[in-house]
Amino acid sequence: METFAFAPAYELPVWPFTPPPELGSTKTVRHPIVIVGAGPSGLTLACDLARRGVRAVLLDEDDTVGVRGASSRGICYAQKSLEIFERLGICERIAAKGITWSFGRTFSGAQEVYNFNLQADSVSKQPPFINLQQFYVEWFLVERILELGRTDMRWKSRVTRVEPLSDGVRIEVETPAGRYTMEADRLIDATGANSPIRTQLGIEAHASRSTDRWCISDVRFSKPLPAERWTWVDAPFNEGRGVWQHLMADGVWRIDYQMPEDCDTARISQPEVAGARLRAQLGPDVAFEFVWIGPYGYRDHLLDSFRHGHVFFIGDAAHVVSPFGARGGNSGIQDAANLGWKLALVAQGQAGDALLDSYDAERQPAAKQNLQVTSRSARFLAPRSPAEHTLRRAVVALAACHPFARALVNTGRMSVANDYPAAPQLPEGGRSVQNLPLRWADGRETTLMQLLADGTRCIGLWWAPARAEAKAAVDATVSLPLRLLAIGGDSGLPTLQADEKLARHLGIHDAGGFVLVRPDAYRAATLPHATPAAIATALRTALAHDTTP
Amino acid sequence: MITEPRIPDPDGFYAALLAAHEGLSEAQSADLNARLVLLLANQCGDQAVLLACIRAATEDPTTTRTP
Repeated sequence: METFAFAPAYELPVWPFTPPPELGSTKTVRHPIVIVGAGPSGLTLACDLARRGVRAVLLDEDDTVGVRGASSRGICYAQKSLEIFERLGICERIAAKGITWSFGRTFSGAQEVYNFNLQADSVSKQPPFINLQQFYVEWFLVERILELGRTDMRWKSRVTRVEPLSDGVRIEVETPAGRYTMEADRLIDATGANSPIRTQLGIEAHASRSTDRWCISDVRFSKPLPAERWTWVDAPFNEGRGVWQHLMADGVWRIDYQMPEDCDTARISQPEVAGARLRAQLGPDVAFEFVWIGPYGYRDHLLDSFRHGHVFFIGDAAHVVSPFGARGGNSGIQDAANLGWKLALVAQGQAGDALLDSYDAERQPAAKQNLQVTSRSARFLAPRSPAEHTLRRAVVALAACHPFARALVNTGRMSVANDYPAAPQLPEGGRSVQNLPLRWADGRETTLMQLLADGTRCIGLWWAPARAEAKAAVDATVSLPLRLLAIGGDSGLPTLQADEKLARHLGIHDAGGFVLVRPDAYRAATLPHATPAAIATALRTALAHDTTP
Repeated sequence: MITEPRIPDPDGFYAALLAAHEGLSEAQSADLNARLVLLLANQCGDQAVLLACIRAATEDPTTTRTP
């Protein structure tokens, strides 16, 4: 039997545990914001707050990145996440290390039945996707957080108990140097799918577990293949079951094989067995080495509410979906970006607690939508009855010659920036605004993310306002977190050049039109004929200020 | 969902449908029907009508007949 080699293990960074002042003190310290869990969502939130100048405590039970060594979990970072990383200042590093892609192909047997190019709908500076092992993203976030110097990073610090108080949360922490208690005005649970905080508080997660089984092989080989997302509904080299193939950093391919439901997970992940599968896929002459092999089954859960008093749930602690479409990690990162600016404005006294309720009102429906989308993909990939097999066979057969059926082939619908439903703070609902390249009137280049990276303010884009109106609007919003910018015209406001891409993306073409963009690059309001009073009202509405006269 | 007759030659259509199934095993017939349903669904192309048709097909007319 052929034997297979493993690459040398990754050397991941380790950060020191520093005993915090609470240890050895009898005084209970109260912190405004405590985040528990330094995974992608907790780190993104800490980094987002730090970028806004807001201090937070971040606790993590480990002292490194990644889970179980270098086993990569998430690999695909979607455009909205990349735009967030751009604002935080790590996107260039991610792009330099990762694999940029936008093209996907789906095969049935040896035949291509479907393909897509996500670049077609993009006007962003960021690509549709970059693939990168999750531990690199966490690594870059930690280094950026340390550089920003606003976050109290506490490694080797495990939360053993939380106790809701009338005005905050009491937190018990275990460290290598002993235990201590502290309090927080607000606690953010980013401890992941098995959140002990959620369990301790007795919050129902509505969990369900799939019987579908998969086995990941992260592997390095010399065969030149395009940097595209390839999926097989029924691969001839995997006994007619599904296969995923994706390139990550360092020349490592993530190949994910669907296994029989009743498989022996220990056996199918043995190097000889996994190696035989790869040999069948790559052919006899391709040399390869394993980086990691891991069997898994997926599950899902969704909390009814992402806010419980002074405790907020983000990322996997709040929602877990099947992996098809990369909607797990990306939605955690986007949870963090949704909550970050709200916590910052509350900390700065520019918004009230009601704004924090909008985190749940926006991200819970987003998670619900992601659960529906990923569940449909999972069901296409693992039919549950003879009838479902028959229907899938029909879809795949028709897809080979009829374009309409290709739309039914579902090997995952890639992560998008979810729209938000209409709500008091979002009367028209919310839609993400892409990171458009822009130009100041004097020709200097900028982007929407660069504009948003400067402080925590909404941006008002106003098409060629009249000079007197612009002055009146500045006066009407002087105490509010708003940066008013003109698009063309001669208003006296800081002015960006009129741009057809921008106008089309935001659906505004005429002078007097106005779009309010939130700090998370979601559109909060569109005013076809803006007035200073209407702008001030739209802003107060978006910030959940009490607007009753 | 239209329930008034619209097929110009009902007997001819039915005969063609039977002819397509002739000589097929149960599994092959099921595959044929599934492909046919998908092709017809795309001819319709109206989400509300498709969902109404699924509902109507789910209710077995022999047990839910109204006078």
